[in-house]
Amino acid sequence: MQKTVRRLCAATRERTALLALLPGAGRPLLAVLVAVRVLQALLPAATALVTARLLDAAATPGAGTAGAVLLVGAVLLLGQTCSVFQRPLVTLVRGRIDARHRADVMRLLTRTATLDVVESAEVQALVRAATADPREWVEKTPAEGALGQLSVLVRWVGLVSTAAVVAAWSWWLVPLLVVPAVVVRHLVRGQWVRHFRIWVDGLPENRRAHYWGELTSAPAEAKELRTFGLGAWVVDRRQRHLHAQLDDVWADDLRAAREKWWVLLAAVVPLGAAFVVAAVGTTRGHGTVGALAGLLAAGWGVFSAVTGTGDALMVEGARPVVRAAEALRARLTEPETETVPGAVREIETETRHVPGTATAPEPAAPHVRLEGVTFAYPGSSGPVLRGLDLEIRPGELLAVVGLNGAGKSTLTKVLAGLYEPSAGRVTADGVDVRAIGARAWRRRVTVVHQDFVRYQLSLEDNIALGQVGGDRPWPDPDAVRGAATDAGLGPVVDGLPAGWRTPLARSRTGGVDLSGGQWQQVALARALYATRAGARVLVLDEPTAHLDVRTEAELFRRLAGITQGVSTVLVSHRLSTVRLADRIVLLADGRIAESGTHDELMALGGSYAHMFALQAQRFARGYDDRLETGVLS
Amino acid sequence: MRVRARLTGELMARCWRAERALTLLVLACMAVGTVAFAGLGLASKTVVDAAVEGDLRLLVLAAVVTAVAYVVDWVVDDVGFTMRMHVVERVAQTDVEPEVMRACTDVDEIDHLERTDFLDRITAVRGRAWAVVDSAWSVVEAAALVLRLALTVALLGSVSPWLLLLVPCAGVQLVLDAAGRRRSTAAEIATSEDQRLQRHLFELCTSPATSKEIRVAGAEDELVARQQATALGVVHARARALLTAAALSTAGWAVFAAGFTAALALVVRSAGQPGGSLGDVVLAVAVGSQLRSVVQQAVGRASDAGGYGRIVEPYLWLRAFAAERLAGQVATAAPPTALTEAITLEHLAFTYPGAARPAVDDVSVTIPAGTVVAVVGEYGSGKTTLVKLLTKLYRPDTGRITVDGTDLAEIGTPGWRAVTSAAFQDFGRYQTTFDEAVGLGDPARMASREAVDAAVAAADAGALRSRLPAAGASLLGSRFDGTELSEGQWQKVALARACMRTRPLLFVLDEPTASLDAPSEHEIFARYMERSRRLARDCGAVTVIVSHRFSTVAGADLILVMEHGRLVEHGTHPDLLARPGGGVYAELFGIQATAYADS
Repeated sequence: MQKTVRRLCAATRERTALLALLPGAGRPLLAVLVAVRVLQALLPAATALVTARLLDAAATPGAGTAGAVLLVGAVLLLGQTCSVFQRPLVTLVRGRIDARHRADVMRLLTRTATLDVVESAEVQALVRAATADPREWVEKTPAEGALGQLSVLVRWVGLVSTAAVVAAWSWWLVPLLVVPAVVVRHLVRGQWVRHFRIWVDGLPENRRAHYWGELTSAPAEAKELRTFGLGAWVVDRRQRHLHAQLDDVWADDLRAAREKWWVLLAAVVPLGAAFVVAAVGTTRGHGTVGALAGLLAAGWGVFSAVTGTGDALMVEGARPVVRAAEALRARLTEPETETVPGAVREIETETRHVPGTATAPEPAAPHVRLEGVTFAYPGSSGPVLRGLDLEIRPGELLAVVGLNGAGKSTLTKVLAGLYEPSAGRVTADGVDVRAIGARAWRRRVTVVHQDFVRYQLSLEDNIALGQVGGDRPWPDPDAVRGAATDAGLGPVVDGLPAGWRTPLARSRTGGVDLSGGQWQQVALARALYATRAGARVLVLDEPTAHLDVRTEAELFRRLAGITQGVSTVLVSHRLSTVRLADRIVLLADGRIAESGTHDELMALGGSYAHMFALQAQRFARGYDDRLETGVLS
Repeated sequence: MRVRARLTGELMARCWRAERALTLLVLACMAVGTVAFAGLGLASKTVVDAAVEGDLRLLVLAAVVTAVAYVVDWVVDDVGFTMRMHVVERVAQTDVEPEVMRACTDVDEIDHLERTDFLDRITAVRGRAWAVVDSAWSVVEAAALVLRLALTVALLGSVSPWLLLLVPCAGVQLVLDAAGRRRSTAAEIATSEDQRLQRHLFELCTSPATSKEIRVAGAEDELVARQQATALGVVHARARALLTAAALSTAGWAVFAAGFTAALALVVRSAGQPGGSLGDVVLAVAVGSQLRSVVQQAVGRASDAGGYGRIVEPYLWLRAFAAERLAGQVATAAPPTALTEAITLEHLAFTYPGAARPAVDDVSVTIPAGTVVAVVGEYGSGKTTLVKLLTKLYRPDTGRITVDGTDLAEIGTPGWRAVTSAAFQDFGRYQTTFDEAVGLGDPARMASREAVDAAVAAADAGALRSRLPAAGASLLGSRFDGTELSEGQWQKVALARACMRTRPLLFVLDEPTASLDAPSEHEIFARYMERSRRLARDCGAVTVIVSHRFSTVAGADLILVMEHGRLVEHGTHPDLLARPGGGVYAELFGIQATAYADS
């Protein structure tokens, strides 16, 4: 009992929360939509009434019928007009509410203090659920849920108005029709909700079926599908997942169809009884023929007012979305780490510019220190960084090398303030970056990640999005052009159909696809734009993996020149590319294992020297003879 | 037209074969629905007329029939719809969709999967096979609705010929409605690019991989603002078009309502006169107001049939394409069990459809059995295309490849594939268990523990497997909440997969160590060279290594240097370095080698 009450309370709260979204579309618009919906709900009752009036007028010799005929025509026109204007109204209301919902989700995810909370599987699952971009029919958006809830409410207007017409004939016919109508609604709604849940339960299988189905035409996998003779296997796998979902759904289809007998009986018996009673009553002088016709129409109106179940499904489909968004809000709006007010002011005044004095000197590159930094991914067994100490001197080119999985990329994220060390700290000119504030600190850092973003926007936007905000005008076209030139993009720009404005995606009008190497140059230009906009620490994580030999060599030749006055951290596992660095550090087991110039490290004869020798060896001799001499066996 | 008619027949036959009883049920629902629709009008009329005349028995009968007709019309419509969708979905998912997938996978080559005309059609059809099947049903239903329309017109005519004037009024409404619909469809198409863009921006902000860069750049507010502007722009453009459409449709309704009112006035006037009855008024109201929706349903289903053309046409195209290509796959010669002589390329050329110049241009070279060949060159030099020709993923335009003297084109493709193995640069990241992701390299032996273990060992992936939470049974990839691997780890899985076949005559390694660090690369190469040498001894296997990194190729028996599709140099590493006046290889090697040179 108590459980039922609690469940009802929770359901009511969710329903109220859905309705509370509606004003977000703008009150005037909402008022019009509600008015249209209510008018529509009143139509069956109105049609019954005007039909009755028309018949009575026609049956009375000498009475004028013109007014009654016009009324019938007017009700028809009104009904159609309402239903026709519903679509644009609903499109607007839905579009506005859902856009707002999606903006909320985006803001929640981009404004957390650190990245690790966003990366957690829990948050990612919530994001998928809260996206409100339906791909399957069972997925609905918050606005669809809110509108569905509105329809559910308006249905009762239809029920009450048609019942009132019935009551005008005789009050005791009302329970005879309303009770079975509500029962029928319950039956039909129950069937749909059950069907809906069976479908939703099978969604994981559905997604897998979708995945394997897609593989059959994926260009990358196509080569393996053929080489290994996997085609039939993949199709079969897709069918297996499909049946795992749809066999239950299909069984329920048939079950629901069989259950329709009950629905038929539950509706036809009371309706037939009411009609017979009314017919007999009319011959005994209870009411006019017109009233009888009106009752027939209104009697069915009672049923048709409540039997539609699409709105209930909208509510059902939107509930998980709203619930996920709520959970995200609760999870992600924990108060940010306290900042030290004094320290913030200190840095802020240092970086603030007087508008219009673009030639004012940039703040110099900071002296960055990582002091005893430890970091572990949530839920992983051990830390990736273990008490790491590292100094980045103003303006130097520092190379970080290490094996796959040594923690190089993690280090770049800690440096950029994306992860907060669980122990130790990162300082800039002696001030803890937590005290500077994540946003302020990130304005001084820029990173070319291995998996850089490929914006489906213009080339200019792609570069200018390296640094937004601050007090200078954005985007700065000169900085965009300068950065592009420095990154060696000149020939690429010349080849673009609309120059800087060309969208970098073939799916966009007039857009083009760049090659992997060209994209890498765009990503580099983006970071160089940031350095022109005030960033003084440039982190390059494997920046040349997609470049060909000549372009790579050319880029490194010019690197020192284009990063004047900026501290550069170059992360690489290819040792040939880091020799030119001012200093090289070797990362191993989450600490700095070796540090020095190339020559110093070679003289040290440690791991770096060993790795370098290994790579260099291939150029000195082929591996055949090495095998023969047994070096590798 | 004839093609579509034949397709309708074929699809109905497929429904009939798959779901005989349900297909009959849907057809029965259509028939019963039509009877109930006509019965409702006539019964309402009879109720009123019998009440006026005081015929109690007829009145009670008519009242019951009215109730039954109301409910049956509703239930039959519902059951007919859900059962039709059931049949459609079943046939689509178990019959048509697999047919489309096989059109992709059964073609020997992969060129079609790189052609936009093919991919666009796949995108149009994929997940919408139901529309292909429903196109047949929409033809059947449109026919049933025409019957219902005829009944409606007959009922109206029986009351008064004047009511037939409603038919042209409904026509006017439909024309205006269609004009509005065209506008809203046009708006939808015009905004679809922005719709995709707002989705893209949303995904960038909410995916951790991309949002890290956005945070560092401080670009989040700018991107949220753009996403909102784009999304609302789409909504407003679509709502504006719908509003215009609504106004047009309403104008049409005004015409219809005016006609309806006038006709009704005539019926009402004649109701009091001989030959007329009050019941006629009820019939006129009930059927007259339904006329337009019957017309619309009929037109709607007919235009559905037309609209499905956007899916049916590509489907037919794909079918024809696959049939033509499969008809050409007739080569049946068996590949040799071991290579004894050589794989020879004779004036081989291949041009991508629509490309200005050949990707592989007149390449001739002999690769003796048991050779390790390295193919080097810059991006776009044709080295990967060359490998695809060797693995029969492309058919050469001119020239040929011979295997121990037999033309590769005459060797059955499945047979040649069975003696081939490869690790491609853009390998698959199969979202399945580790062991299965490896076992996919030889589906016949996928279930064999020993086979999978041997492949894992050969690719040095044992340590990786044992570190996974459930070892070989661990689900890989984040798509279904499995363990996500790093680039290098995925590559190891791909290498292990390539080791499933134990006696390949051709073994392809396409940039096999691009994302591995030096010691791992070293380790992998040592293993692969050992494997290649063993295979060469066992069955004369040829190993082809594609790379743009010269550290990986120096020890090959034969190096092929590609430039702009042409084979510009070939020989051993010392031969190529010793070429008088340098050469492409010497130059590119020099660029990388200086980085390692002693300072």
